[in-house]
Amino acid sequence: MKKLKQLTIVLLLLAVTFGLIPAPIMAQEGAACDADVIVQGDDWLSKIADKFLGDPLAFPAIVEATNAAAAADESYAQIDNPDIIEIGWKLCIPAAEAAQATLGENAVAAPTDGTVLTVWDIWTRGVDGQTIETLDREFEAAHPGVTINRVVKSFDDMKATAQLALSSDDGPDVAQINQGLSDMVALVQAGLLTDLTPYWQKYNWSERLAAPLAARNSVVGDGSAYGQGNIYGMAPTAEFIGVFYNKEKFASAGVEVPTTFAEFEAALETFKAAGETPIMYGNLDGWPAIHTYGELQNVYNPDQTYLDNFIYGRGDVSFDQPGNVEAAAKLQEWVEKGYFTQDFNGIGYDDIWPLFSNGEGAMYITGTWISANLLEGSSADQIGFFLVPPLEAGAAKPIVAGTSTAYTIRKSSPNQDLAAEYIDWMMSDRAMELWLEAGLVPVAPVESASIEPDTLMADMTQAWDQILATNSMGHYLDWATPTFYDTITASLQELQALRITPEEFVQQLQQDYAAYLAEKQQ
Amino acid sequence: MLNTPKARSRGYKPGERPWTACLYILPGFIIYAVFVLWPILDTLRYSFYEWSGFSSPSFIGLDNYIKLYSDEIFRKALVNNLWFIVFYTVFPIVIGLFLTALMTRRRLPGMTLFRTGLFMPYVMAMVVVGVVWRWIYNPATGPLNQALRAVGLDALARPWLGDFDLALPAVGVVGTWVQFGFCMVLFIAGVQRIDEMLYDAAKLDGANEWRQFWHITLPGLRNEISVAMVTTLIAALRIFDLVFVTTRGGPGNETMVVALHIYRNAFAINRVGYAAAIAVVLTIVIVIISVGVLALRQKWVED
Repeated sequence: MKKLKQLTIVLLLLAVTFGLIPAPIMAQEGAACDADVIVQGDDWLSKIADKFLGDPLAFPAIVEATNAAAAADESYAQIDNPDIIEIGWKLCIPAAEAAQATLGENAVAAPTDGTVLTVWDIWTRGVDGQTIETLDREFEAAHPGVTINRVVKSFDDMKATAQLALSSDDGPDVAQINQGLSDMVALVQAGLLTDLTPYWQKYNWSERLAAPLAARNSVVGDGSAYGQGNIYGMAPTAEFIGVFYNKEKFASAGVEVPTTFAEFEAALETFKAAGETPIMYGNLDGWPAIHTYGELQNVYNPDQTYLDNFIYGRGDVSFDQPGNVEAAAKLQEWVEKGYFTQDFNGIGYDDIWPLFSNGEGAMYITGTWISANLLEGSSADQIGFFLVPPLEAGAAKPIVAGTSTAYTIRKSSPNQDLAAEYIDWMMSDRAMELWLEAGLVPVAPVESASIEPDTLMADMTQAWDQILATNSMGHYLDWATPTFYDTITASLQELQALRITPEEFVQQLQQDYAAYLAEKQQ
Repeated sequence: MLNTPKARSRGYKPGERPWTACLYILPGFIIYAVFVLWPILDTLRYSFYEWSGFSSPSFIGLDNYIKLYSDEIFRKALVNNLWFIVFYTVFPIVIGLFLTALMTRRRLPGMTLFRTGLFMPYVMAMVVVGVVWRWIYNPATGPLNQALRAVGLDALARPWLGDFDLALPAVGVVGTWVQFGFCMVLFIAGVQRIDEMLYDAAKLDGANEWRQFWHITLPGLRNEISVAMVTTLIAALRIFDLVFVTTRGGPGNETMVVALHIYRNAFAINRVGYAAAIAVVLTIVIVIISVGVLALRQKWVED
């Protein structure tokens, strides 16, 4: 304590010496610009700061100089929010020394209480990590005195350690938590997460996260119901299931992007007849089949209300539905017709996508999270994306869709507001823009000039815009009950090995679901 | 003066407890108690509770055990564990004995190289072994199917780890590959204790290699075989890492094992109390089998 006091006094002295004396000089120099810059597409402040001042963290100096210049000359822009700059704005770049002075002044003047914000996230992939690092550094620059202590965990590791960490007094302030009954709902039930509803209103988050997506992060306060109630998490990127396809192969086979399911199946037949693997598939891990089946289910049972009720355990619905049986039968039919990679039951997920990204197979059904990896392959520029089409062209059909895991706040964290501000930053336009560059689809619509037309990113963002516009977010079926993941992966492997009938498959899942509903009622 | 009473008094009379000796054991015992005994007792306690790992546990008596009785996946897992005994215990001991017989009765060139090479898999981390074999078994790009196709045995190429009938043997073979080196090294060491004169005598009596092995080597290795049995049996019953890395219990539940079932319940679906009950049952099974083997050994040694 004594040391802290001494340090404060020293800092105060420093503030007085350096903070007060240069101030009058600054006031004069503030209006003098070393250079003027017109904002171009794909510009942001720290990038400009890096270019002209040699330091991305020097952007507050540009903000200050531009605002000072705007007071005297209206041709300069007024920057209210450093996160948002518009194309065509005129910015004032101060001389390097003046910028240094401004930064030094700010750094000392702001409350330097040395707050450390600990954030646990699961962005293990290199490009994702860089995106977060950039955002973290910019957040720190905008909040002098705040240091972000980032801890990266794998998905499984986070799952296993989150509960203990969030109950601890020195646990993470912000943690990325998986949605669903076993994770977020259980944590809410244990009273470990902060209700974000006040921040939802304060920061206008409804513009960032569409209502059906917000529902996935919503839990009734006592954990009794899921999909409604208070909001507990915010997720920055969208993930949805669709068909990646090889444009070159489509062109040479004379196949167009299908708009109906019949056209889709005709395309599969065309490729099969030509000796090409129609759909690249590897299901050794079990879970990829959940997505394949989920999309077929959405084709034959496109009732969004039914699906929502089923997933959130409302209205006592059953899995034993004609559409669900038809979807299972279709999956078996595709296996029998040889539409999938040979021996797919013995091939792992991470063994199959590299083959597709290097030119094997015509199509690949999986989630958009893999896009950045696909873009590393030798056929990267040939890869396009479309959504599994409905039975009739233009008909409504849910798409298996969701978000990345969600940022949450530890209830016992002393830095609630700062943590919320951090989450808001992770949901900002700037963050969305960076995610787009990293090859992931941002959860909020981005009007960006940086998307090149006819690229994979363009296809995917267009698909996401369509899903947002029609509010047709389907679900990952394994969320239905805590045991559903194990049940459905095992049952789908049996179904695809033709060891059980579609009816038996549906009954096995219904058995699991009914047991869960009965348990819930008690 | 005749005896040395002073020195005697520092010793202990028969039946007297050397309490000071306990002091020396104490530090080790404390560590053992905190990190082994306490968790075991705690697991036993939790097996009588319903506990998600989050909220406060509620006592439900024997309900977890009753539920376990009708848990089909648990039953399947237990049967699979018994199958793994064949691959983890029976095959490695048989192969180990065969290799021992080969290596000890004749001087072969490069013996050390063979021994080291065959022992290597046992030294490797199971996760690494699992990843390597997953690659070997990969039906699309793995060397096993490619080799089969290269020599025209296309009909034998299979989706090994994804095949309902072959997945368990495929994983089991990996277990055999890991364990036999350990058995072999144990047996080779044991053979060196056997008196060479026995073999000479047997040879004089006209016993062939096979009879020498059956009547001298095998009985001489009783101790080593029982040690190998206990360790490999325990390894087979608590197998987790290999299955987790290669198949995660699939396809269906064909390679599901008890330890994986415990892991899923405790860490994936937050049924810690139930997982504790499974763990208790698994521990009891392991203890019964181990005691059985040790009793067998006792009888064998006395004969």
